[in-house]
Amino acid sequence: MSGFASNFTSQPNDGTDAEVHEIIAGLRSVTKSFGGTLAVDDVSFDLRAGEVLALLGENGAGKSTCVKLLAGVYQPDQGHVFLEGRPLDLRSPVAAHHHGIAVMHQHPGLFDDLSIAENMFITHVRRDNWGLLDHSGMSREARNLLEAVGLLVDPDQPLSRLRTSERQLVEIAKALAVDARVLIMDEPTAALSRREVDRLFKVVDGLRERQVAMMFVSHRMEEIYRIADRVAVLRDGKLVAVTPVSEMPHDRAVQLMVGRPLSDIYPALHAKFGDMVLRVQGLTRSGVFENISFTLKRGEILGFAGLVGSGRTEIARVLFGVDHATSGSIHIGEQQTSFRSPADAMNAGLAYVSEDRIGQSLIMDFGILTNGSLPIIHQATEFGIIRSRRELGLVKPDLERLRLRFRSFEQPVNTLSGGNQQKVVLSKWLATTPRVIIFDEPTQGIDVQTKAEVHAVIADLARQGIGIILISSELPELVSMCHRVLVLREGLISAEFERNEVSQEKIMYAATGIAAGQHGLRFGSESAAESSVSGRVCQQVASCDEPAAAPSRQSIARVFLHHVFTRRELGLLVAIAAVMIPVSAMNPRMVSSSNLVALSMDGALLFIVAVAQMLVLITRNIDLSVASVIGLAAYVSADALRDYPGLNIALALALASAVGLVCGLVNGLVVTFGRVPAIVVTLGTLALYRGLDSLIAHGKQISADQVPAAWLDLTSRSFFGLPGVAILAAGVLLVFAFALRYLSVGRELFAIGSNPDGARLIGIKVQTRVLGAFACAGLLAGFDGALWASRYATIDARVASGFELTVIAAVVVGGVAIRGGSGTIVGVAFGCLTLLVIRNGLTLVRVDPLWLQAVYGLVILIAITIDALVGARRRLVGRKR
Amino acid sequence: MMKRVLRRMAGWSGFLAAIFAGVLLYATVAVPHFATAFNLSQAAAGFSEKAILLLPMALLIIAREIDLSVASILALASVILGILIRANVPLPAAILVVLFAGAMAGALNGLLVTRFNLPSLVVTLGTMALFRGIGYILLGTGSVNELPDALTDFGINMVGATAIPWTMVPFLLLAPVFVMILQWTAWGRKIYAIGGNPSVALYSGVRVRRLRFWLFVTSGLMCALAGIVFTARLSNARADNALGFELDVITMVLLGGISVFGGRGNLIGVFWALALVAAIRNILGLSQVGGDGQGVAIGLLLVLSLLLSNSVQNLLDKVRTRRLVKTMALRRSDTTDLRGARGN
Repeated sequence: MSGFASNFTSQPNDGTDAEVHEIIAGLRSVTKSFGGTLAVDDVSFDLRAGEVLALLGENGAGKSTCVKLLAGVYQPDQGHVFLEGRPLDLRSPVAAHHHGIAVMHQHPGLFDDLSIAENMFITHVRRDNWGLLDHSGMSREARNLLEAVGLLVDPDQPLSRLRTSERQLVEIAKALAVDARVLIMDEPTAALSRREVDRLFKVVDGLRERQVAMMFVSHRMEEIYRIADRVAVLRDGKLVAVTPVSEMPHDRAVQLMVGRPLSDIYPALHAKFGDMVLRVQGLTRSGVFENISFTLKRGEILGFAGLVGSGRTEIARVLFGVDHATSGSIHIGEQQTSFRSPADAMNAGLAYVSEDRIGQSLIMDFGILTNGSLPIIHQATEFGIIRSRRELGLVKPDLERLRLRFRSFEQPVNTLSGGNQQKVVLSKWLATTPRVIIFDEPTQGIDVQTKAEVHAVIADLARQGIGIILISSELPELVSMCHRVLVLREGLISAEFERNEVSQEKIMYAATGIAAGQHGLRFGSESAAESSVSGRVCQQVASCDEPAAAPSRQSIARVFLHHVFTRRELGLLVAIAAVMIPVSAMNPRMVSSSNLVALSMDGALLFIVAVAQMLVLITRNIDLSVASVIGLAAYVSADALRDYPGLNIALALALASAVGLVCGLVNGLVVTFGRVPAIVVTLGTLALYRGLDSLIAHGKQISADQVPAAWLDLTSRSFFGLPGVAILAAGVLLVFAFALRYLSVGRELFAIGSNPDGARLIGIKVQTRVLGAFACAGLLAGFDGALWASRYATIDARVASGFELTVIAAVVVGGVAIRGGSGTIVGVAFGCLTLLVIRNGLTLVRVDPLWLQAVYGLVILIAITIDALVGARRRLVGRKR
Repeated sequence: MMKRVLRRMAGWSGFLAAIFAGVLLYATVAVPHFATAFNLSQAAAGFSEKAILLLPMALLIIAREIDLSVASILALASVILGILIRANVPLPAAILVVLFAGAMAGALNGLLVTRFNLPSLVVTLGTMALFRGIGYILLGTGSVNELPDALTDFGINMVGATAIPWTMVPFLLLAPVFVMILQWTAWGRKIYAIGGNPSVALYSGVRVRRLRFWLFVTSGLMCALAGIVFTARLSNARADNALGFELDVITMVLLGGISVFGGRGNLIGVFWALALVAAIRNILGLSQVGGDGQGVAIGLLLVLSLLLSNSVQNLLDKVRTRRLVKTMALRRSDTTDLRGARGN
């Protein structure tokens, strides 16, 4: 560490010492706490025009909170954000954008189902002269911005196709799209290669010339010294220093961040190792990491270094049985093993302390005891029954050893601090008496005190003869805590250092791409690294390209089949043809005009309500009550016409639609403001609306002769040979396809379904939009009810009973995702047609109509299985995290 | 720990029990013929199958899955039973085959969900249609009405001199088993863990896929059992038996306090919900309100009860945050005093 500082203290800062740049924005005496923890305490700093302020601090020091305060994500409890001398009350990120504050978030809230271009412009869309979304314009601008940051991808493809480092570049480009006065960068280089970082810094230099005020949050001292003019250091939520970068050598910075001499927080490591406990040879997982080989002895601490996305966690996951290797071997002790699941790994003596506490280590709502005993719960049972005393006995000793501070064993773990939570995680794993423990970023987001305790525990465990793999992004931790350090870069081992030769700079260089020349490095030259600017390991690992991109060696049939399975609309067209052609051969009535007319009319009726369902589904909700709404609206309108034969047909239509609208609003209100899950609400209203229908009908039915002829003609009228109702459906298709593509409202629905929290964060009115979706769905269903009543003449309270199954089937077959965020109107149309053609086809070849149910069921299952397989294949191909 | 568990159970279950008591009281007084042994036992008998279906459904929903095909498996089981009986297969053998078929149906659900990682909502929507469809293919619109005496006696008689119908007995025997499994065994703990956070469960060594698969198989098995009971009680086997049952079952489970997000709730609440829904349907039936019309009450009950519970939860949260902010403010004023004293 000593040589490091001298390289960077003589950084030339052009005129920064002489002239003072204009203060643009910053924080003034800001305090922010979260549920009892003080995140930021009375912090003030400025961001100046044409200058980069680096914000340094340990994990948990408050850097992220400062970023989010400036970004408008959080509002200060005390103090304020200011801009150009005036206090600013930023209620939301959109407000921050409007004031010219752009933010590159560390964990970007992006929308996987939307295109890259849309993601970039989601908070400030470009419109054309008609006020509609200008997709081609945004695409063009996006392409330019992406080129500027070195990402050469098609901006119209969905974001989900990109990997981590590419997403980070999109986040950067997104911030640049705002044309900001203030730019906040929160760990923008975490997943980037050396070349990409250089690109970013070039962009920053350009912004410097444009007098943009910038803040740069990072762990990487090397980068800080390259890019920053001034440095601010946070510790435990307080600002401890703000100085020009020349006055902040590395040692001083680290000392300020940590608060005490470095030697104090790292325990002494012993040097006695036992036998080999873990041997990995040639471990490969295609597209992720390749040819990983290392050994681990009992009592040894082996560090894994590397950038995010270099493969460390991925290797750990394979070791722990979560993922599977494509080749290579793992030996625990003497035996070769291949784990099919974490349960197997655990039984073999492995433990994995994940970096993702919330997502992988602890069930937040559950208590300390329940979490702690989970891996070994069967040990707490006697004849199959859990005994509380035994359970306590399993968990208590380790919790006490780790000095956990808690109120009771039932206390939910989400009430504990980060450090205490990590202690629960540790005790959970210690209880399994492992031989090897893999720690993945064990001290991330933890206060300094607990960090020291965790380090002491790790050293102690090693002393007891447990083999330890320590995955970490904190260079001091790696240098001080490990007997050996393996450095990974883009899925390969790029270097290995013994304790006596390791240093932070060496690790950094090996991790970011300047060749260290050690074993495992396949392509040591810069040019090869450069050629993978969009970084896929594809050049070495086979089968990376999508078949469509491969040269014409692929047969036409193969390519065609590939498209059929990946493009839903085409696949359905093929399916429809596959049914129609043989059936027409057997029974030419299939293609007779009367049959096609009937088919189109049924199709229209199904399509309109399927659109309703789609609107709700894309927002990640569901509406099980649509069929009941159809029934209710049908009966009410037919009833009205029976009692008032002079009633205008249009009014009857309006009445039905109004009934549907009210039903939809009820659904929507309970879902949005009542916060009851949609499946539950619509399950209830399905029964409710059907019940109301039944009560109104009183067991009676309305027959064709009781309603005006004009009503019945409504749906049977033809225009130019095409049934009016089909033209109506086509109209609905055009209107909604248009709205979903060219209106903000439409795109917002997809955003909400793709990432509801992200949508809320950028200021999309989620509640109103979802309410609107339900209301619209209700309206369409009501309208459809009127058409139904007109078409099927005889109406009773059982109209459309069970129809919700057909509707959801049509939508699912049409490619709308149940989890929300994606789907097309055209797909839905084809889904409807497919189901009806199948029904029609079966009828015409004299298959018993009772078989239809089974066929529908099969079609649904086939459709979703294909979806799953296609999705899985796409993830496998060309995705390296 | 027992106390804590009991206290948590008391919350929502207590609320439902109170409503049930209220409804019971009202009905005894205001609805003629309600409080007779005959009526009560008929009401209970009418829910025999739904009661059985509740048990695995609750477990599935706690584990963040759902099974919409329960009624279809029931119907299919009924059909298979009828066909086997008509083919003069002895009753015990027929029952075994039916139970096996149900387990297989559940296994198909389980396979599609665990092997292909498909959402259970859509899978069981498909199998809901598929299984009933197979039932239609096998039996058409006909029915089998000639059933062995042993079966029909089981379907009609009471246990000894009591008013407990024999059809309720399977449920009464299975219910404590399920309660025990859920609350007191490692399996139950793992089911809650999967529902609480499937990722964490996986990383903690829970064999998530295996457990999910067997939950679906159990569901299929229970549905087949319910199918046998249904056939016995109604004395016929048809492909369109139990249409719409799944909705009632899911409603009762959700009403019983089991969260649709998984990881929360217990069977005691579900039993109270069962009693409540059965009572309401019975009362409405006695008051000449048809099956669909009863849906108004059930639907309202479901929606309003969850709305209520949410509002109460929101209120509690607000109170808790306000209290926290107050303590924080007090704490800060202490430190600022200290700072002032030190002359910062």
